[in-house]
Amino acid sequence: MTRLPTSVPDTEAPLAPLAARYLAALRAADADLAIRTVLDDGLKAGLGVDELHLGVIEVAQREIGELWQRDEITVAEEHVATAISQLVVATLYRHLQRDRRNGHTVVVSCPAGEQHELGARIAADQLEAAGYRVLFTGANTPAGELAALTERTRPSAVVISAATALALDGVRGAVAALRGLPGARGLPVFVGGCAARLMGRGVGEATVASGDARRLVALVNEAVMRPEAA
Amino acid sequence: MTGRVDRAELISSLSREFALEASTDGVVTWCDERARRLLGIDAGRPLEEALAPGSEDKARRLLASAATPGERELFFMIDGEATSTCVRTASGADGATLILGAVGTGERASTITRMGAAMSELSTLQRESERQQRELDVRRKEVHDLRGSLDDSGRGMQSLFVELEEQSHTLREEAEVRGRVVANLTHELRTPLSSIVGLAELLESRVDGDLTSEQAKQIGFIRRAAEDLLVLASDMLDIARSESGALRVRDDAFTLEELLGTLRGQLRPLAPQDGPVALVIDEPADASQTLHTDRGKIAQILRNLVTNALKFTESGSVHVSAQAIDGGRVMFSVTDTGIGIAPDDLERVFEEFVQIDNPLQRKAKGAGLGLTLSRRLATRLGGELTASSVPGHGATFTLVVPVMHPDVRELQRLEERARAGDDGRAPVLVLEDDVRALFLYERYLSEAGFRAIPARSVGTARELLRTIRPAAVVLDVLLEGETSWTFLTELKSNPETRDIPALVVTVMDRERKARALGADEFHVKPMDRGWLLGRLEALAPSRNAARVLHIDDDEMARYLMRRHLAGTTYQLAEASDASEGIRLARALLPDIIVLDFVLGATTALEVLDELKSDPATRGIPVILSTSKELTPHERERIAADTAAILPKDRLTREVAIARLREALRTATARHDATAARVTGGVRAPSLPVARTGEPEGVR
Repeated sequence: MTRLPTSVPDTEAPLAPLAARYLAALRAADADLAIRTVLDDGLKAGLGVDELHLGVIEVAQREIGELWQRDEITVAEEHVATAISQLVVATLYRHLQRDRRNGHTVVVSCPAGEQHELGARIAADQLEAAGYRVLFTGANTPAGELAALTERTRPSAVVISAATALALDGVRGAVAALRGLPGARGLPVFVGGCAARLMGRGVGEATVASGDARRLVALVNEAVMRPEAA
Repeated sequence: MTGRVDRAELISSLSREFALEASTDGVVTWCDERARRLLGIDAGRPLEEALAPGSEDKARRLLASAATPGERELFFMIDGEATSTCVRTASGADGATLILGAVGTGERASTITRMGAAMSELSTLQRESERQQRELDVRRKEVHDLRGSLDDSGRGMQSLFVELEEQSHTLREEAEVRGRVVANLTHELRTPLSSIVGLAELLESRVDGDLTSEQAKQIGFIRRAAEDLLVLASDMLDIARSESGALRVRDDAFTLEELLGTLRGQLRPLAPQDGPVALVIDEPADASQTLHTDRGKIAQILRNLVTNALKFTESGSVHVSAQAIDGGRVMFSVTDTGIGIAPDDLERVFEEFVQIDNPLQRKAKGAGLGLTLSRRLATRLGGELTASSVPGHGATFTLVVPVMHPDVRELQRLEERARAGDDGRAPVLVLEDDVRALFLYERYLSEAGFRAIPARSVGTARELLRTIRPAAVVLDVLLEGETSWTFLTELKSNPETRDIPALVVTVMDRERKARALGADEFHVKPMDRGWLLGRLEALAPSRNAARVLHIDDDEMARYLMRRHLAGTTYQLAEASDASEGIRLARALLPDIIVLDFVLGATTALEVLDELKSDPATRGIPVILSTSKELTPHERERIAADTAAILPKDRLTREVAIARLREALRTATARHDATAARVTGGVRAPSLPVARTGEPEGVR
């Protein structure tokens, strides 16, 4: 099995020091420091929310995962760090530069077995900033629930987030449940998240959206805005 | 079965610890019973089988660094769930790694999960609240923009009002000019005519000498001719008014029963019970039929028809009936058993000044304007007046009017349009009873993108407020019969409606104000001797030898006054122009002044000003003698200064005396109450066009 990808995209490289400071705050379980770092050194310094999402928070979170892998931190510490990052992302929500509502709805979900929803959150926030109305189901969503919600709300796309390899089965189940819905033939279903790339062909009738949230938004735009071809 | 519990077994079954050994290539070489039970593994199987997906890397690292001290964490699949396990390692047999694991309490694991879920929910809620806040901000901006465009509308409306004002001012001016022409004409006719009548009556009274029967007859003719001409002049005035559009149609709601009931009372004196002609007003078949139109005018038409019918019927009956007919109309019929009208004349009777030549017509008064006016009125009400007849047997005049006056119907349509459905335009409640003004509001508001919702009374407005929240309210504070100030106060004191902006407007309509001031009170009906004597008895003879100053440039008028007052105890002084009048007033300090309204170049107003500004003459009551039709403005001005206005054309001796007495009595009362302050002239108050956008309201 391959390791989870941790490479930082080039554009994010200048943010590395900021990411390091943020990580330090997470390790110190200092929520205040974490928020201040992002707001003062990040937003006020002119950085965009999406840059902070992808170049600071996600980078630090991935590092947290690594640290756990290396047994340098316990799972409890990992949870605290994640909770702080949730808080920070929630604080940044207000500052998102918003496009006008485009009239489309997107469902963002973490499948059964996937506890890590932060990446999905970030993707959801960026989709909202792009003008979508986002329905976020959160971590560990049973496939049946996802299908029912999709049927009820008739979104223009569904995004399933796989942050860890644990989610593979859940992803498969979710995709199958969606495809089982009547009228879901042309529905674009994306599988995103760090572990998506690992899924390969195994996800069923869904598009693997490898890359970060920005890339996911671009893929969703493309699928939703272009006229339905087969 | 032993009673003694196998402790070891018990411990084993309860324990959440396990031990196993695995080789560097990840194969389990040994495991204890607990490992077998908890993890479901056995020697010879790959450790991976027991691991939760994602822990493989960790396990490999762990196996490669067995000697590293300290605790590590691995996720094993226990009971189908990825479970956190705290492990310690040590070097085992044959290079394998001994792994001692302690499964975390299920509690702890699920707690962490629950905390995560709670964080997630909090996160979602926080976003929800952010979204709502954003919504609120958008709404706030919308309201702000709306206020802005309302302000613009408000300004637009103000300029509309200025326009309206100017237009109505122009119209009024034109109407005034016309009115003045007619009034002056009437005055010019009336003055000599009333003198003729007065003098003829004087002769007939034989006060200055007896008459032969022939002379009496001749004078009778003279008098009657003059009286006829006087009636003609009044009718002409009415026609002129209807032409100039000064005829306002009122919007009353009444039933047929009510209308005919009132008519019965008004017409009874015209056809005495035991007379040759019976006047029958039927109970209407549709007694409760309600009409929404000008009640007064319908009554006027019917009165005219009945008087005509009575005039041309020597014996028999005049029959009035009313019923509802199709098309939302009501039909009134006045049928008589009189001489009838020839077919050729059926239309001609409605023309001005036409009187069909017949013996009865020659006997009766009238200039031939009544039917013309009646037809004009009928048309104005949206109906029509027709006649049919069998010559020699009688005639029937039929008045058909819509139950609802066209203006009123138009208004209802306007109301329906306004209330029919929410078309996304902001509603504006308009409280205004003048139909034409309402149309203008509706048009202007529509153009500005608003929906006008009309309310013609405060009651309606209150009702509407219960179901609609308007973006603004426009009110005219001079609503007929009630005031909208109360409504405004209610609006502003209710917290739910307080911040609805209210625009308070008024159009300066002197006619309405004048009516409110009682413009009709100056008409004096001809009095008969019996009435007069009764009045004189009633009044205490307080002022004997009272001095009267009569200022009038008309020689005949002065003569008449002299004759009227002859034989009374009044001392009369005369002046033939304004300056002499004022001089005499100051010199003689009379008890009462009778002043002609149109005095050569000056008018009574100027004389009044002079008299009232001089403390010496200020308290002298003034009777205005006039045959000029006063404008409401003039009446207002004079109202405060004069004791009474005496229309010259009906100036009879009796009337003169009665009025003088009246004025003196009032003057005495005033003196007694030390309320002899009469200022010169009353200016019609002008109400400001106010606009409120703030919750403080209008004071």
